[in-house]
Amino acid sequence: MFSYIVEAWAVLMANRTRTILTLIGLVVGVAAIIAVQISASAMSGAVTGAFKGLNTSMFFTFPKSSGGDLEKAALHLSDIALIESIPGVRTAIPYQQQRTVIRVGHNAVRLKFGGESDQRFSTAPLAQGRVISLDDVTSAASVCVISSKAFERLFPNGGDVVGQSVLVGDRRYVIIGVLGKTTIDTASLGLDIAADVTIPYTTYYNNYQRGQTLFGLEVLPNPGISPTSLEPAVKQALSTSHSGAQYQTFDFGMFFRTISGFFGVIGIVVGAVGGIALLVAGIGIMNIMLVSVMERTREIGVRKAIGAKGGQVLLQFFIEALLLSSIGSGIGLALGVLLGWGASALFISKISGVTAPIPWLSITSLTMIFATVVTIVFGTYPAFRASRLDPIEALRYE
Amino acid sequence: MNNPVKLTANAISMQAITKTYKMGDVEVNALRGVSFDIAHGEYVAIMGPSGSGKSTLMNVIGCLDRPSSGSYFLDDTDVSKLDDAKLAHIRLTKLGFVFQGFNLLARTDAIKNVSLPLFYAGVPAKERRARALEVLKTVGLSERANHKPNELSGGQQQRVAIARALINNPTVILADEPTGNLDSATSDDVLALFANLHAGGRTIIIVTHDEEVADRASRVIRLRDGLIVSDTNKM
Ligand SMILES: Nc1ncnc2c1ncn2[C@@H]1O[C@H](COP(=O)(O)OP(=O)(O)OP(=O)(O)O)[C@@H](O)[C@H]1O
Ligand SMILES: [Mg+2]
Repeated sequence: MFSYIVEAWAVLMANRTRTILTLIGLVVGVAAIIAVQISASAMSGAVTGAFKGLNTSMFFTFPKSSGGDLEKAALHLSDIALIESIPGVRTAIPYQQQRTVIRVGHNAVRLKFGGESDQRFSTAPLAQGRVISLDDVTSAASVCVISSKAFERLFPNGGDVVGQSVLVGDRRYVIIGVLGKTTIDTASLGLDIAADVTIPYTTYYNNYQRGQTLFGLEVLPNPGISPTSLEPAVKQALSTSHSGAQYQTFDFGMFFRTISGFFGVIGIVVGAVGGIALLVAGIGIMNIMLVSVMERTREIGVRKAIGAKGGQVLLQFFIEALLLSSIGSGIGLALGVLLGWGASALFISKISGVTAPIPWLSITSLTMIFATVVTIVFGTYPAFRASRLDPIEALRYE
Repeated sequence: MNNPVKLTANAISMQAITKTYKMGDVEVNALRGVSFDIAHGEYVAIMGPSGSGKSTLMNVIGCLDRPSSGSYFLDDTDVSKLDDAKLAHIRLTKLGFVFQGFNLLARTDAIKNVSLPLFYAGVPAKERRARALEVLKTVGLSERANHKPNELSGGQQQRVAIARALINNPTVILADEPTGNLDSATSDDVLALFANLHAGGRTIIIVTHDEEVADRASRVIRLRDGLIVSDTNKM
C-alpha cells in the first residue's frame, strides 16, 4: 500500500502541470464554498443575535390612520381596563414618549423621555442601581432609569449617579438605575424605541397625559402567551367599544421574524451559490481527470501489457485522486477558513456588533467530505473505465 | 489440427487459432486457423507481408489478446480460457514483450520504466532499483539509468524496452519488429542482445520484415492472409 502512495506521488510529480491544474480547481472550489458558508452563517447569526437585544413579547396597538373617524377611534385610559379584561393579557400601558429637555445641574440635554412598566422593552444590561419595579408603577413613584446615552450626556464626569436626580421641566425624578450599552446599536437599524429617561408609566400619565387621548397602547401578554395570538381579540374589543373604528397592531416579534426570514432566504441563496461553486469545481476536477485518463490511456495500456492487473491500475488512480483531493482540499480549507473568518471578523461583526458563533466543524467537515467524494468519484470513474480496457485497445488509443 | 492433447514440454502450442475483428458489419479474419508448436529455447522469426496477421498472432502469444477460437497452451496451461487477472499474471511472470513502438512511460526515467513490472509483482523499492540497474547493465545502458525516454536515442529506447521485458526473468521473449525503427548498426547491437539471450536458454520469438534479421533465427514461420504458408527449421 505504501509503495502505491510513493508511486502515486511520483506520478503526480512527474506530471506537474496536470497536477497543479487539478489542485487549483480543487483549492478554488473548496475555498469558495467554505468562505461563502462561513460568511453566510456569520451573517445570519449576526442578524438573529442583533434581534435578541429587543423584547419581543409585547405588541402595540393604535388606531388605523386611514380608518376614517380618528375622533371616534381615539384611545383613552378606560381602554386599558378593557384590554386588561381580555383573557391572556397581563397588562396594557399607554405608549408615552416625547423629546424634551432634561437637566442635571447646569447640563441641559434634549432626550427621549417616556413611561414604561416594570417589563422593560430594552434588554440593555443594567450598569448601576435597579430597574423600575412593580411598586414604582403602582405607587407612581417619581423615579427614573437613564440610558447609557443619557448617562454620558448628563454626567460627563461619570461616577455613581444612583440617588441623584434629573429635572424635567420643574419636576424632579430620582435616578434609581443606569443602563449599559446594548450589544447592538439599535438606532442604526432604525429600531431605537426605548426612551433615554424612563419613568413609571403611571407617573408619566399622572404628570403629562391626564385627560388627553392616547397615541397607542402597549399590550403585555401573560407569560407563555404569544403576542400574535392576542392581537385579533384586542383589535376586536377596541373596535366594538369604539363603535366600529379600525385598529392596527405592531408586533416586534413578527417584525423580527420577517426580517430573520428574509436573511434566512439570503442564507439559502448564498448556500446554493456555494453549492454551485463546488459543483463547478467538481466538474472541473472531473474534466481534468477525464482528460488525464484519456491522455493516460496509452500509459494504462503499457502498465497492463507488462502485467498490471486492472485492479492494481485502478488502485493506483484511486490513490492518486485521494492524494490530490487531500492536498487540494487541505489548502482550500485553510484558504477558505481564512477568507471566511476575515470577512466575518472585518465586516459582518463590525457592522452588526455581534460576533456570531460559526459552526466550523460542520461547515469544514461537510465540505471536505463533499470535495473528497467529488474528487474520488470523478477521478476514479474514468480510471475505472480505462482499467477495464484491453491492453491492446488501450495501447492503440490515440 | 486433429492432434490429441500432447504432453511434450513445449513452451508454446497453438492449435487452430483464429482471430476475427468485427468492425460494424464487416468482419476481418486476421488469423484463420494457425497451429504450431515452439519448444523451449527456440529462436523463431515470424515473417509475412503487411496485414498478414503477424502482430495479431504476437498479441495472442503475448496474452495481450484472446483468440476467437482454438486453443493456446503456454507451458501446458490452456491460457485461452483464463480470465483477465490470470492473463495479467502470466504476462507479468512468464512473458517479456518488446513492443514495436517501445511503449515506454514518458516523463519517467529509464530505471523506473525498467523496474515497473517489479512494482506490480510486489518487489520492494530497493530491490527493484538494484535489479533494474543490473538489467540495464546487460543491455549496456547503465550510464543512462536516469534519462527519460525523450532524452534517449531510438536504439537506446529500444534497449530500455528490452531491459523491461527481461526484468522479471521471463522464459519467453516476444519482440514485434524490434529493429524496424533502427539503423543497421543499432539493429546489430539489439540482435546481438537477442543472440545472447537465446544462448542463455530463453525462447525468443521476433516479428520482422528483414530477411537478414530472420537469418539469425533458427526457425522461420511465414504468414499470409492469416494462414501459415511455410515453417522452416534451419537446424
Ligand atoms: N483492432 C483491429 N480491428 C480491426 N481489424 C484489425 C485490428 N487489428 C488488426 N486488424 C486487421 O487484421 C489484419 C492483420 O493485422 P496485423 O496487425 O496482425 O498485421 P501485420 O501482419 O502485423 O501487419 P504489419 O506488418 O503491417 O504490421 C489486418 O487486415 C488488419 O487490418
Ligand atoms: Mg504488425
